[in-house]
Amino acid sequence: MPIILQVKNLVKRFGGVTAVNGVSLALEAGKIYGLIGPNGSGKTTLFNCITGIEERDAGAVGFKGRRIDGLKPHQIFHRGIGRTFQIIRVFPELTARENLMVVTSGDLERARQRAEELLRFVKLERLADEYAGNLSYGQQKLVEFIRVLMTDPELILLDEPAAGVNRTLLNELLDAVRALRDRGKTILLVEHDMKVVMGLCETVFVLDHGEKLAEGPPGVIQSDERVIEAYFGR
Amino acid sequence: MTPVITPIMLGQVIVSGLLAGALYAMVALGLGLIFGVMRVLNVAHGPLLMLGAYVTYWLFSTLGLNPYLSLLVSMPVVFLIGVALQRFLVRRVVDAPELSSLLLTFGISIALVNLAQLAFTSDLRSVEFITGSFLIGPFAFSKSRVIACLFAGGITALAFLFLQKTRLGKAIRAVSQSREVAQVCGINVQRIHLFAFGLASALAAAGGTLVTVMVAIQPEMGAVYTFKSFLVIVLGGAGNYPGALLGGLLLGLVEQLASLFLTTQVNEAVAYVLLVLVLLLRPTGLLGGRST
Amino acid sequence: MNWNLGEALRRWARWFRPGLGVLLVLLILYPLWGTGYGVRVLLQLFMWIALAQSWNLISGLTGYVSFGHVAFFGMGAYTAGILVTQGVLWPLAALAGGAMAVILAFVIGWPCLRLKGPYFAIAMLGLNEVLRVAASYFEGLTGGGLGLSLPTLDASVRVYYAMGVVAAAVTVLTHAIVTSRFGLRLMTIREDEVAAEAMGIDTFRYKIYAFLLSAAAPGIVGGLAARDMGYIEPVSVFPLVTTITMIVMVLFGGKGTIWGPVLGAVILFGFQELVWAHFPHAHQVLLGAIIITVVLAMPRGILGVLQQKYNLPRTI
Repeated sequence: MPIILQVKNLVKRFGGVTAVNGVSLALEAGKIYGLIGPNGSGKTTLFNCITGIEERDAGAVGFKGRRIDGLKPHQIFHRGIGRTFQIIRVFPELTARENLMVVTSGDLERARQRAEELLRFVKLERLADEYAGNLSYGQQKLVEFIRVLMTDPELILLDEPAAGVNRTLLNELLDAVRALRDRGKTILLVEHDMKVVMGLCETVFVLDHGEKLAEGPPGVIQSDERVIEAYFGR
Repeated sequence: MTPVITPIMLGQVIVSGLLAGALYAMVALGLGLIFGVMRVLNVAHGPLLMLGAYVTYWLFSTLGLNPYLSLLVSMPVVFLIGVALQRFLVRRVVDAPELSSLLLTFGISIALVNLAQLAFTSDLRSVEFITGSFLIGPFAFSKSRVIACLFAGGITALAFLFLQKTRLGKAIRAVSQSREVAQVCGINVQRIHLFAFGLASALAAAGGTLVTVMVAIQPEMGAVYTFKSFLVIVLGGAGNYPGALLGGLLLGLVEQLASLFLTTQVNEAVAYVLLVLVLLLRPTGLLGGRST
Repeated sequence: MNWNLGEALRRWARWFRPGLGVLLVLLILYPLWGTGYGVRVLLQLFMWIALAQSWNLISGLTGYVSFGHVAFFGMGAYTAGILVTQGVLWPLAALAGGAMAVILAFVIGWPCLRLKGPYFAIAMLGLNEVLRVAASYFEGLTGGGLGLSLPTLDASVRVYYAMGVVAAAVTVLTHAIVTSRFGLRLMTIREDEVAAEAMGIDTFRYKIYAFLLSAAAPGIVGGLAARDMGYIEPVSVFPLVTTITMIVMVLFGGKGTIWGPVLGAVILFGFQELVWAHFPHAHQVLLGAIIITVVLAMPRGILGVLQQKYNLPRTI
């Protein structure tokens, strides 16, 4: 399978702190990847650098063979990368449907249909006209998730999709993620819930203190001494 | 025909700039404290300066009190006003989006300026206390400027000592860095907010007192200082307290240098252009600080 | 009291459109039987509606608070004033004023809208002062501090209609924006700019569009006001209180809504006519107090409160 995302020696500093210190990784199209590491290891910062929300200090990011580092977030989005956030970022004063429709350009009618299709997909169609701010945590999470799917991106970055979500909803989300992979999408998710990571991801990257500690299938990572040390202390 | 600029003129201008800069730094430090501790952009900072100036004026015109002595009154009085503003108004928007606090302090500033208009009328007042210049070699420095700089420098130095050495000062710095962590460490964040706002107001008032002998006192006098304080904070980096010092001196320098080439009217445009430039090129400030 | 305001509002809503139609007809016919004083008062009300609606376009929808919006009014006034003294017909001069205001908005907006919200607000705070200084500086053109006099002309009625047209146009424009995807995108900037960018919305471009749109009407009514006043000087066309009033009108009525600014304009204008003439400073203290109250107690204004309480649609 071709490499869809390539990160080479990415460095990001905040004042005196180096949040990401020369991280490199390569994602093959059509697989589910996990990104784990203790708190503060630089996972979200890495996401932010890939999606252009933070400007990297050094290193390169290539998507489908073209460099995307230095591009603005909305440009990266249009290249085909979508993401969700650690803290839910729906637009509270827009309805669920509007949250979805605002993302696409072009034909309004087609946008409306796609929005309703996705709402049905996660069984939220009856809340289409509810202000997103009034939805429950789990419902907002789902809206944020399907919002990312509105333009059918090829690479989807999920930042802690399982956080604060009950088991049933979580299983639905995970099924949706697998369905996406089966359709050829690539998914990279940051997650703390090890069961989710181990059950879902084909390859896992481990970050610690901004550096890539290990990389490999979940089973191998689980028993890697360095990984255990990073999580449970020295 | 461009004027010939002699080294003496240059030297004069540079020192004048630094003298003025010290005052800017002190006032801006106040603004920076409020922003650093509470993430509030205090548009009412200028009016607080104005209140300090009027306290001094009043004491001078009724009691003949030495304006520099009135610092001992204007600073505490405006400190208390600042605490009251924080306690009853600003506290409610500390956690709201920044624009709420911006609008709120904007409203407060309008109210304060116009209350001053009602109380004092817009007649220009002045405090005639010190005139003339110190003559040092070929240079002439206005006495009031030099004394203002000395006081401003002293007060700013005290403020920094306070921030570095005392427990309260360290608590303020802790809250500036991270409110949650400070809370976990047992710091009463509410009280820190009250104190910081009061302290900031006192610094503004000190600025007001010191300029009474130099400029005309009228209700709208503060607006330009609000703006310049913002500029200093942006120059030095938001949340970067020593940066405010540097930013103030830099602003003073740039203004005085610009006055060599431009008319005084355009002076304020200089500050403005500088602000826009810095915001565009280095929004985290020349020394680096937090972005909003 | 067995009277439910929500129910009442819904029932009255049906009468809103026809009621509006009747009101419009009355306003159009007013100069035929009204007094000169009445015409001038209404003309000013139309002006304030246009100003408030415009401020709402940028600050209410995108959340980027423009503290220097009177700059566009003044720009329009001076442009039109200068053109009229050169013999240009005042309606054209006013339109030119609008055009210049839009150009000014582009010049300011291009650098400043790249900044995040609070920094933009700070930059706009200084704008007033700079423009006032500039108007004094370019004395040859603008008459400097002494002001600019226009040739006398009694055009009150014609200006009345012109102002009315602008006010109506901006309201229609606001309605079109708020009910469109363009408007939704502007609102996402207010809701969560980072998320909006991440979702592919070029926030800078949308902010510029909104800013340019918000400068046009103030420019035009500035030009019309110059014609009406017959005399302009920096202090009269760049006063901070104009910006303050615009802000209060929109905040009080309901920012981000269509009719909120109109409601705020009508209420505050009425108040202004009663209080301002006699107690200008007390009036401004009150404006400050209203801002404080609105921010603390009803951040979405009157319409916002009604919307929330009675579940009214967002597009009112």
